[in-house]
Amino acid sequence: MIRVFINPDKFNKFSNYLLKPLLIVSIISFVLGLLFAIYLSPDDYQQGSTVRIMYIHVPAAWLAMLTFFIMTIYSIIALAFKIPFGFIVNSAVAPIGATFTFICIFTGSLWGKPMWGTWWVWDARLTSVAILLLIYLTIIVLKKSFSNISLGEKITAIFIIVSSINLPIIKFSVDWWNTLHQPASISKLSAPSIDISMLKPLLIMLFSFTCVGLYIAILRIKAEIIERKEKNNDNVIKKSI
Amino acid sequence: MQIFNSIQALFYREYKITFNNFQDIFTILIFFILGILIFVFSIGPNKEIFNYISVGIIWTLLLLSTNLSIDKFYKRDFKDGNIFLLYISGLSFEMIVLIKIITMWIFFQLPFLLIIPIGGIILDINMDKIAINLYIFLIGSPILTSLASISGSMNLLNNKNFSISGIIIMIFSIPLIIFSVGIINATPDLVMPQLNILIGILMLFLAITPWISAACIKLSIRNS
Repeated sequence: MIRVFINPDKFNKFSNYLLKPLLIVSIISFVLGLLFAIYLSPDDYQQGSTVRIMYIHVPAAWLAMLTFFIMTIYSIIALAFKIPFGFIVNSAVAPIGATFTFICIFTGSLWGKPMWGTWWVWDARLTSVAILLLIYLTIIVLKKSFSNISLGEKITAIFIIVSSINLPIIKFSVDWWNTLHQPASISKLSAPSIDISMLKPLLIMLFSFTCVGLYIAILRIKAEIIERKEKNNDNVIKKSI
Repeated sequence: MQIFNSIQALFYREYKITFNNFQDIFTILIFFILGILIFVFSIGPNKEIFNYISVGIIWTLLLLSTNLSIDKFYKRDFKDGNIFLLYISGLSFEMIVLIKIITMWIFFQLPFLLIIPIGGIILDINMDKIAINLYIFLIGSPILTSLASISGSMNLLNNKNFSISGIIIMIFSIPLIIFSVGIINATPDLVMPQLNILIGILMLFLAITPWISAACIKLSIRNS
């Protein structure tokens, strides 16, 4: 079973079964989530209708961090056990994370303008997420600045492991510093401090965003595997000539 | 005893090389002073504004002048093949990186102890703040050196886009800049916690830098 996450061929076979159900589930849950978020959830008593931005903002932030976490795990695996599938995942998944981080920052600033009065505040949570976006961009660039591709991947993996220090800082920044950004309201050890009528669409949106992200990630990983195979074949042909 | 001899020899070698290439250090110091002048010219000689931003200017320029010293770390050794000799010398690469960090800190960061007071006087910082700034610099500059070591070793074989090494330093140095400028401008009851965090960052980087740099150098040697 664990080979699915390590071996490119096994992953290809497994993802062929997974792809279509995942697409259907993600479409259904996305439509359902948007329906709940826009029409079937109540307005906030303070924020009015702008609270609906949360249903995009929170899942995007969750996916941005989840992507980086997956990249960290895969870089550790790839470097420690010399499994090249980790590098494939890294290079396939990094643009997804960058996009979701950008969506998170963009919707956050749209939400911040009516609520806080500014597009941007230099608060701990916002700053660390902005750094996360810069790290994603650096990861994308760093891999391409080496002419030796396999070396570039390894160096990028080391960079990912080092910069994963940022993840706990993002998570706990609202607890460590007294900031404008509100603290976590779902992932607490006690009961969530959010009303059930708002929690329901939020959870559906979280699920659907995860499914969409997974779907894009699987497509990109498959494309990356095919690309590498082509390149390998080209090299073999060149050598044989 | 062999180890101590080779460590001493390595120190002596670094000292010789940096002393022969004294213009490197000089260039970086000139860059620092010039940067302060550029800031003064671009903001205008307004003393009230400088009261707020002078410490920030000094730390920004320290970071930028560390960027200039990245390729002095391993690039030269790597090009002329000395690093292969170090590879078979019997010392582990983690040890070599640690010695490199210490020597680079002595030769490329300690001269700033003389230059920072001059820059502070130009920018009209009062003497107490300059003294605190020097103490904070003693804690913060090893972090800058180890960051330069990390990014210098990462970009040994980088022949397309070397300017990314500066970006790597800048990303990791953000907490250092936040806390070191924060201490100097903080109220007295907030000094100790921030100082503790800064020392913690220093310990963290001193602990992980040898491993990271050694791994990157070994990767580069195998792939060159």
